[in-house]
Amino acid sequence: MVDHKIRIDFNEGNVLESVTYTLVSEFDLRPNVLRADIDGDGSGFMLLSIVGEEENVCRAMARIRDMGFSVRELSGHIIHDTERCWSCGACVSLCPTRSIHHEEGTMRVLLDTGTCIACGSCINACSVKAIQLEL
Amino acid sequence: MHLNRTYEEINERIRSGEAVVMTAEEVVDLVREKGVEKAAEKVDVVTTGTFGAMCSSGAFLNFGHSDPPIRMTNIRLNGVEAYGGLAAVDTYIGATSMVEPPGKGYGGAHVIEDLIAGRSIHLQAWGPGTDCYVRKRIDTCVTIDDLNEAYIYNPRNAYQNYGIATNTSDRTIYTYMGKLMPRMKNATYSSAGALSPLLNDPHLDVTGIGTRIFLGGGEGYVAWQGTQFKTTVEEVNGVPVGGSRTLALMGDMKQMDPDFVRGLDITGYGTSLAIGVGIPIPVLNEDVMGRCAISDAEIFAEMVDYSLPSGRTCMQRYSYEELRSGSIEYQGRRIRTSSLSSMHGARRVADKLRDWIEHGEFLLNRPSMMLPREGAVKPLLERKRGE
Repeated sequence: MVDHKIRIDFNEGNVLESVTYTLVSEFDLRPNVLRADIDGDGSGFMLLSIVGEEENVCRAMARIRDMGFSVRELSGHIIHDTERCWSCGACVSLCPTRSIHHEEGTMRVLLDTGTCIACGSCINACSVKAIQLEL
Repeated sequence: MHLNRTYEEINERIRSGEAVVMTAEEVVDLVREKGVEKAAEKVDVVTTGTFGAMCSSGAFLNFGHSDPPIRMTNIRLNGVEAYGGLAAVDTYIGATSMVEPPGKGYGGAHVIEDLIAGRSIHLQAWGPGTDCYVRKRIDTCVTIDDLNEAYIYNPRNAYQNYGIATNTSDRTIYTYMGKLMPRMKNATYSSAGALSPLLNDPHLDVTGIGTRIFLGGGEGYVAWQGTQFKTTVEEVNGVPVGGSRTLALMGDMKQMDPDFVRGLDITGYGTSLAIGVGIPIPVLNEDVMGRCAISDAEIFAEMVDYSLPSGRTCMQRYSYEELRSGSIEYQGRRIRTSSLSSMHGARRVADKLRDWIEHGEFLLNRPSMMLPREGAVKPLLERKRGE
């Protein structure tokens, strides 16, 4: 079982289709919508965390692409520049999933990209711009 | 048995490599296990550290004279205004001075960081043109090596304790105490607690003018009392529960390390400088050691509502142990907490200062003058002229 972060882009023509239903019913995957932004013109994107068999995830991505969506796997949807970060911790209390925490002992600030839902709350709390979203 | 150790004895042990040095966090456990007397006997020096935003910071720079020379009265460093009211080629660059036009997240603090990191700085200056300084304009690039002198002079650093900020309003607010979410979703604080310099020498018994310190990775000195120095704050366990004493610090920028000096861009507030400060405490007697043994559980701070424009009164007191646990409780609800000063950085400061002393590279000196025993802060009153 691997956790993939996928970005799916919509347009006016396919905004009403249920991508997540397809992922669950046809490919036995467990999608979690981390973030979804849809504009008034019907265009937008959805950020999914998908847990399932590697092969199924690949087939599912191909299937969604066939349905007319633009699909892109994100390697690191959030980037923590550990050189820039001075481990103050201003971001720690803002993270809704507690993906940012102090390392026991050293008190260094660490970011767990696996549980990060890309809400972006930490971005403007950082005084040295050490965190960036790459969606 | 009463210990009576002198600065000379401590320095002799430092020179011979025999000095026992521990950080203010390490001595908490030592005193708990062995008692104050034994701990004081064993340890010669306790090192402290803090690494946080200190807005009242800046640097004096001397550029040297160009040919023909200019009397600089209007000065920009990477577009940031520096003070033009000193002698011809002297200036002071303050941490919160903003690049023009503002909004780019760059300011005096970043100029200071860039200089220390050895990066080239764009210097633009204008002058009136006088008989003795005929030149009116200069546009050049300088690095710290080109400058005759570059030294930090921070009017207010190392705050002895500080408040806890929260926000009871319905909107997110952006303050110098960080991003505060609506309806008290979070709270922020800014002190190294048990490792903080002035919380380990709360009445400044051994810290005074001339005390040699760690400043930004180099050697610095306590220059004076800090601005807004106050001794009137209520104490619990022998330490004040809010912002109290402060220090004016100075140090040679050419010795500093960018790892311990960072320009900050605090959203909604402006720029500030984070600088590592470490003060060595000579264990002259048991009383000094007893005060160094204070733990996070014994140091308290007061939470206030930063959504109020003024009249921020204490909502509740919390210990630094509670604050560091990640959340505190207020009227039955949990509030998540964030530190704004780097505990990781504070420990690196205290560890580095300990290493210097252990290796005989840093000697302690007796203050040439003690700081005031009393001080109160006055407000700014608004008066009409002649009133």
